[in-house]
Amino acid sequence: MNMGKLLLIVALLGAFGVVVGGVSCSRRGSGEDQLTICFGFQDLETEFWVAGHKAITETLRAKGIRVLERNANQDANRQLEQIRDAIAQEVNGIIIIPQDGESAVTIVGEANRAGIPIAVFNRPPSDRSNPALVIVADNEKIADEAVAYMAKVAREKGKGRKWKPLIVVGDLGDRNAVARRKGFFNVMERNPDLFETPIEVPSKWDPATTLANLEAALQANPDVDFLFTSSDFLYPQIKAVLEPLGKWKKIDEPGHVILGGLDGDSTAYTLMKEGYVDATGVQDLFFEANTIMEALLTAIEVGQKTPENWMEDPGFALTQENMAERADEMWGYRVLHDE
Amino acid sequence: MDRPSGDRPVQSSGNVTSQTRIARLKEVVIGRALLSDSFVLYLSVAYFVVLWVFLPRLGSARNLSNLSSNIWPLLVLVIGQMFVLIVGGIDLSQTSIMAITSVCGALMITSGLDPELFAANPLWGVFVGEQGGPAGGSVAAAPVGIAFMLAIGTLIGSANGLAVARLKMPPFMVTLVSMFFFSGLAICITRSENVRNLPDAFLAIGQNYLGRVPTARGSVGLVPYSFFAALALAVAAWFVLARTILGRWLYAVGMNRRAATVSGVPTDRVIVWAYAVSGFCAALGSVLYSSRLGAGRPTLGENVLLDIIGAAVIGGISLFGGKGKVRWAFYGVLFFVLLDSSLYMLNLKFYTVNIVKGVVILVAALLDVLRNRIRLGWAPTGRAVTA
Repeated sequence: MNMGKLLLIVALLGAFGVVVGGVSCSRRGSGEDQLTICFGFQDLETEFWVAGHKAITETLRAKGIRVLERNANQDANRQLEQIRDAIAQEVNGIIIIPQDGESAVTIVGEANRAGIPIAVFNRPPSDRSNPALVIVADNEKIADEAVAYMAKVAREKGKGRKWKPLIVVGDLGDRNAVARRKGFFNVMERNPDLFETPIEVPSKWDPATTLANLEAALQANPDVDFLFTSSDFLYPQIKAVLEPLGKWKKIDEPGHVILGGLDGDSTAYTLMKEGYVDATGVQDLFFEANTIMEALLTAIEVGQKTPENWMEDPGFALTQENMAERADEMWGYRVLHDE
Repeated sequence: MDRPSGDRPVQSSGNVTSQTRIARLKEVVIGRALLSDSFVLYLSVAYFVVLWVFLPRLGSARNLSNLSSNIWPLLVLVIGQMFVLIVGGIDLSQTSIMAITSVCGALMITSGLDPELFAANPLWGVFVGEQGGPAGGSVAAAPVGIAFMLAIGTLIGSANGLAVARLKMPPFMVTLVSMFFFSGLAICITRSENVRNLPDAFLAIGQNYLGRVPTARGSVGLVPYSFFAALALAVAAWFVLARTILGRWLYAVGMNRRAATVSGVPTDRVIVWAYAVSGFCAALGSVLYSSRLGAGRPTLGENVLLDIIGAAVIGGISLFGGKGKVRWAFYGVLFFVLLDSSLYMLNLKFYTVNIVKGVVILVAALLDVLRNRIRLGWAPTGRAVTA
């Protein structure tokens, strides 16, 4: 009984301390004139989102803006509740990385009804029924460019033979994943003489799912020799599957699987530099972060409550051919060298 | 307030010192507060009032509207979980029942599907097509979809109950397997796609309110439609637990299954009922959350299990069986949602929020142990706490 009471008192004191500390911090940082922006993100599971989170929060804070961070832990309902809470706190603007396109539509609608300008970073709403500021990479074009380079390498190396392609598909509830898949298949359709029917491996943007599905796919199709991943953050899983099969080879080694991806993170840069990866589609993360922040701050400044503008990051494909000239445009390269 | 059972007889004042009297008074006050049925409600009110002084926006119309709309769907799930906890079980599959009923119901009533996203769906051309599901576009789409979802949820719950009762399998294992199976099936059926284009009447359940209050920034809803669903369920659950023989059987099974069997309680049937109710409630929760988010989602409820169990424990529903009331479920959900909202209003980092929530659930579990000890210390035997 005494031990129970002691534990209870300690736990209650701890909780009380956190609340009181939180209240004092909250009050200290809540000047009435200070601009407040809520940044709601679905999670920080990849290097892309971590770098995006850092770029946005640091830039806003450097401008003297108060940032309310909300992590939804990949739960669309929780994200909706968090954004409603932020609206109740009368924030001046909202930036979100939504869990998926459908929930983005609902969340944007909530902000519209409250008259708070909202910006969507990198993962667009599934339709334009509710106005928002949106920045998104041209994923189809970037994927197309990267896979087109891989196809060119295949044609040069293959000398008339057909290749067995495989695509690691993202979560198809995410329009970015749909566009990347489309870019890949555009190249397949343009080169029917070069490729057999592609194998699709669902990843759900989850490393464990990718590992399991890719292992199964390569057991069933050991002759895969052309692989495109819809996101660079899955390279460790790809390596873990290819290496035991003797397929993790450099470009100039026999048995090399032609490899490519999309995002432009530091892992992709390193693997390209080491000669394992042939090409990667690059989203301009810093351009996207700066553009969306500027658009939102301008909307707040001029008093727009439901601004609408869909902006595009053209991106580009970094290949072994243009790497020497364009590597420093890759955000992963810059992250690596900043570190 | 209920009087704690079995208070110790007070000794004559001449035989005790003033120190002993103070100690006993403390024990009685603390004990009564802890044993009170409304302890968590008092705690919630005190917590709200204290924080309101520092955070006036906590009591703003918009925030109260948010709290209200967050409470009801969670309450529905916690009531379902409570039935299973009362019989000494646990239902981990509530989240996957939410997911599978969400996609099945949505596929039934959607008015259109994008072939680019759904052509690879195993049900394409058989159950669904470009024009949507079998009930898509019909005026009765919403009630048909809801009935379909509730039926599936109840069936899965009953299957769980049968496995626990008849096959004598551990509830944790049965519902864990169910959780994996049905969440996988939901993803398999939809190939990870969310199902959109649901009828307005269905979406209204999760998104519309009865009455609106004007605020500085437009207006906010007063009473969400989900409140009425939760209220109807709460009344029905209270009636079953407090006014029917089934309710008594549920507590009896949770207190001591063997003794209940010996006393003639059809324990197997009671357990199946408890899990069926849990499945029904998970499906009803799925209706509320799916309509709120505007889509059938194969990942619906993936992260809500901690909230369900946490709110139940905070409310005082025992993980050991035999104890649970509808109002405890409500108090637990109220405190949990209030805590969640206030922690975000305090602008704590997201990891701090999780830590604090974890600590609060731990405290609630400790309180449960403490309450049991106090009760056992005062009464010669434990007793079931019924609705």
